[in-house]
Amino acid sequence: MSFRKGLLIGLGVAAVVAAAAVTYERYDTKTLKRTIRRDAVLCGVNKGLPGFSTPDDKGNWSGFDVDFCRAVAAAIFNDPNKVKFVPLDANERFKELQSRKVDILSRNSTWSMSRETGYDLYFPAVAYYDGEGFMVPASRKIDTALELDGSKVCVQDGTTTLLNLADYFRANNMKYTEVKFGKLDEVVAAYKDGRCDTFTADASQLYALRQTLPKPGDHVILPDMISKEPLAPVVRQRDDEWMMIVKWTLYAMINAEELGITSQNIDEALKSKKPDVMRLVGTEGAYGEELGLTKDWAARIIRHIGNYGEVYDRNVGKLGIPRGMNQLWSAGGIQYAPPIR
Amino acid sequence: MIGMSRLFGRLALAASLLLLAAPGYAQQPDVGDEPGLIANDDYELPPELRKQVVFFRSSEAPGTIVVQTSERYLYLVQGNNRAIRYGIGVGREGFTWQGLLKISRKAEWPDWVPPPEMIQRQPYLPRFMAGGPGNPLGARAMYLGSTVYRIHGTNRPDTIGTAISSGCFRLVNADVADLYERVPVGTKVVVRQRPEL
Repeated sequence: MSFRKGLLIGLGVAAVVAAAAVTYERYDTKTLKRTIRRDAVLCGVNKGLPGFSTPDDKGNWSGFDVDFCRAVAAAIFNDPNKVKFVPLDANERFKELQSRKVDILSRNSTWSMSRETGYDLYFPAVAYYDGEGFMVPASRKIDTALELDGSKVCVQDGTTTLLNLADYFRANNMKYTEVKFGKLDEVVAAYKDGRCDTFTADASQLYALRQTLPKPGDHVILPDMISKEPLAPVVRQRDDEWMMIVKWTLYAMINAEELGITSQNIDEALKSKKPDVMRLVGTEGAYGEELGLTKDWAARIIRHIGNYGEVYDRNVGKLGIPRGMNQLWSAGGIQYAPPIR
Repeated sequence: MIGMSRLFGRLALAASLLLLAAPGYAQQPDVGDEPGLIANDDYELPPELRKQVVFFRSSEAPGTIVVQTSERYLYLVQGNNRAIRYGIGVGREGFTWQGLLKISRKAEWPDWVPPPEMIQRQPYLPRFMAGGPGNPLGARAMYLGSTVYRIHGTNRPDTIGTAISSGCFRLVNADVADLYERVPVGTKVVVRQRPEL
């Protein structure tokens, strides 16, 4: 071997080692370890969205997105209170996750392709199927958005809501007039004053806003969804262990509901002889250990937080939001979790 | 499955009661009702229990009634991934059942004749009560097969959303009247329970 050839090989090896080191440093494989060392999950949430994430005057957080982080904490620590909530703005949320300010983003974020590829993030599973919908006065007695031809539509300016609205009416050969404002409050005020026939926004938002109207029962939200807004928790890429914990936490809650396991009957479930139930609660197999957790990881989630339906009912259900697409696939919806086996 | 075995048990019970009784006998009375209490028609259900059109995927044909007891909802399947959803009160512990039945009879402002087992449990109940606003069966009743179960109204709208009945499904009077107009005798009724552990 010539000196030159040896040098080339040496340089090649050095380059590979350097690349590996850089890659290794970029690899974020330690979220679970860092979470355990810190003794808390850092959870990025919305600063205030009824049903999803709201603090009370003592700083106690509650909501659907909040409960999801508590479920992850329950799985890891057997303690749903080992979570630090970090309120984040919409425009900073993904960067804050990237820069490791939080371990999970659980902040009503729509899963889209560009958000995964562009921010180097991963949306493990859909927690809540939302979509753009319409609210109308009940007195109009209409059942479907296809009856909205010729309507004056209250809508917030500068949003994708506006674009979806245009697409939907054009696709269905219907005419409409936009009544648009920059601020949501102004849109609500216009609807209240009867300056439009219908109000469009994401359905979850419409239900929350309806509660603020003088007579909520006088308004209905149509069942049509004209856009896809799958809300999902978000984690960083290249931390498969953590991503799996987040993903299976959600799936454990959905499977628990399908199997009829609740926070009320979890002790009974631990004595069950049904194989599906035994695998989920950890009396058979070691599925939790393969996640880096304990055998009873899912039982902890169910005991402290409850199944998917319980979390839904206690947070968004009480706003009057029907389960709709978020009902289990076997009971009228599309929520479907892969089996634990 | 307890659901089905209880159903068959109750069917047998209902059949034996029917042998003993005059027609119109077998209305299964419900705990939590106050015979004679006039229903407050202004009572406003919480928003999640109000009648509304919802997204509902189903392999059942339009016109079928699906009752999901653990949710406290009754769905009237509309097709096109929709259903009309009504908030209901359901059977208490020990009075749950599931399966498929058909609406066998419909009645407006039905009379109520509490059966002996009920009188035994609650001796203060009337032996007969004519239909009307103070009747626990409320404004309408839809009879399910030959069982003691009905879909009916109520004079206690505050019990919608609870598990308190003896296996019947109760709706507020406005809702039961609305449903009554939409479903003929012969309508399929599918009752689903939460799975057992």
